[in-house]
Amino acid sequence: MSEAALIGLFVATVQFGTLVFLAALGELIAERAGVLNLGVEGMMAMGAASGFMVGLETGSPWAGFFAAAAVGALVGGLHALVSVVLGADQVVSGLALTIGGLGLAAYVGRNVVGERPETLFTDLGIAGLADIPWIGEIFFDQPPVVYLTVLLGLAVWFVLSRTRLGLAVRAAGESAPTTDTAGHSVMALRSGAVMVGGAFAGAAGSFLSLYMAPGWVEGMVAGRGWIAVALVIFGAWRPGRLALGALLFGFTLALQPRLQSFDIEVLGVEVNRISPALVGILPFVLTVVVLVIISWRYRHRPSPAPAALGLPYRREER
Amino acid sequence: MIRPVLVRRERVWPAVQAFAFLVGIAAALALGLILLWTSGHNPAEIYERMFDSAFMGTDSLSRTLERATPLALTGLAVAVAGSMGLWNIGAEGQMMAGATVAAGVAMVADGLSGPVLIAVLLASGIAGGMVLMLGPALARSHLGVSEIITTLMLVYVAIRVVDWLQVGPWKDPGSLGFPRIEEVPDQASLPGLFGRVNIGALIALGLLVVFSLAVSRTGWGYELRLAGSSPNTARYAGISLRRKVLTALLLSGGIAGLAGAVQLTGTEVRLTPGLSNGFGFAGIIVAALALMRPSGVAVAAFVFGAVQVGGQSIQTLGVSSAISDILQAMILFGALVAAVFFNYRIRWTGPAVESSGDEPEEPEEPEPVEGAA
Repeated sequence: MSEAALIGLFVATVQFGTLVFLAALGELIAERAGVLNLGVEGMMAMGAASGFMVGLETGSPWAGFFAAAAVGALVGGLHALVSVVLGADQVVSGLALTIGGLGLAAYVGRNVVGERPETLFTDLGIAGLADIPWIGEIFFDQPPVVYLTVLLGLAVWFVLSRTRLGLAVRAAGESAPTTDTAGHSVMALRSGAVMVGGAFAGAAGSFLSLYMAPGWVEGMVAGRGWIAVALVIFGAWRPGRLALGALLFGFTLALQPRLQSFDIEVLGVEVNRISPALVGILPFVLTVVVLVIISWRYRHRPSPAPAALGLPYRREER
Repeated sequence: MIRPVLVRRERVWPAVQAFAFLVGIAAALALGLILLWTSGHNPAEIYERMFDSAFMGTDSLSRTLERATPLALTGLAVAVAGSMGLWNIGAEGQMMAGATVAAGVAMVADGLSGPVLIAVLLASGIAGGMVLMLGPALARSHLGVSEIITTLMLVYVAIRVVDWLQVGPWKDPGSLGFPRIEEVPDQASLPGLFGRVNIGALIALGLLVVFSLAVSRTGWGYELRLAGSSPNTARYAGISLRRKVLTALLLSGGIAGLAGAVQLTGTEVRLTPGLSNGFGFAGIIVAALALMRPSGVAVAAFVFGAVQVGGQSIQTLGVSSAISDILQAMILFGALVAAVFFNYRIRWTGPAVESSGDEPEEPEEPEPVEGAA
């Protein structure tokens, strides 16, 4: 295997890791506030389609990125309205969001299939660091969204664990009545968290359509939104562990299209002869295996999940 | 500040969910109207075409029933798990697994006579769905791993495996290099009833009746519902939760697998990665609309079959069939919101104690529904 191929694999690992990390970070915010949102896949598709269309129209990938975030927040707002304000079942609402979001993205994006914008996100070589062999190329010559995502991860960690707002958000996810008694609006905290989470998922979708796989086709999110949902469990609802998990999943996602160019043997099997379709199941099998291992480790301990996750709150019914 | 709060109604109309379903359909049609209008289509013409192609005439009805069959089976699959509070959102994958095992068995067992072969293939489908469900079911029953994500993940696995079979080991040598799998033999086709409808529709209907009775009228069904709604009571009554979870999930997977075998032998004839065609995902909406009741699954599956046939028919008018996905999701959203207003009423309360700026959006009165009084 050539050095360039190996570096290429790690470069792609960071990018796929960014993709799922950004979406999972949004889901983490919503879940810490107590709202399960299974609509990530649909929100990412909406973000991918709308971000690409705005990028195509304006010629600015940033405009597309922020438009996608706005669309994601809007779609998240629908989930908030239905499941937080009205208190309907979060699982049902989230699934409807995914199915409807995938359909709506396919519908609004139908006229831009096959188009390619003039300007996409470009790699941002950081002066001095990008020239370091290996490390430079892998970590310091990436598109700006990668660095923005790292900053967002730090910001989410800081806000959740070091500010009063973060404390209130986490309280809403642990015990809504307590939060209410303390004078915070559970509805506002949860709705806000779901909308911010939606913005993250939408933005992640546009990173896909404006950089990683430029263009829009139906089905391009291909389950990465669901991986993001699983990643939150893997990360035990903590941004730091989420980042590690994202790199692991990013690696398996990056592996699939590249494995055929690797001329090596693992356990007596020539890896480049494994069918790409079978390598493609790796991230999904890994998710299941990882979830089982985590549950095994926590079998005698309380789950790290927010205590009120998935439970609607109505003050009149407590 | 005067603010609205939702208060549970003391008296709720009977058959609330049926009204909610109607409101959902109305809301979906209204949103579709806006969507079609803004993209330059004539909504009246498109809705008329959809209605005609789904309901007018024997051929149209048979198309609707053809689609309603797998929807009823996947909807039932989701509902069986749902009747004890579990979410099988991977029916799409189990359907694929059922079709795959049935197709594999058909390759080696084509010496059997027609009825025997069909029975064997349908059983293989059930087995296939159960096999794919086995991991998530055991993980849920013994370790408490959320079945939501594990069942869903295996959808992608099942579809990619068929992808691989198609280009690799099961590639039809007679297909002149084109990657596709051989058709199932003629004697394995499900006997037709009328038009495009085959006995798969009767199988689905029969299973709906059986499960409807089993869940609501038998001790087994009572224990299942009890285990879902109050696990502690159930445990105290000596019911094994593990066994109940396993049973419900494996049955669910088996029914979804049967949907795959029925689709393979009744409609598709050839195993392709597109065989499940979103039926498993739509089945989740069908079951959710039916509040996990088999009787409701039958109605919702029929309506969704019609929406899908309608969605296909308008492609010739230059309208994307994605419209039907949007309509299906909107029906669910509309019904979800309507159900809240049918079960709760709005009460305006006096000055609120807190003063944060969280004015909730003003809920609208539900649309009046015919016969709702």
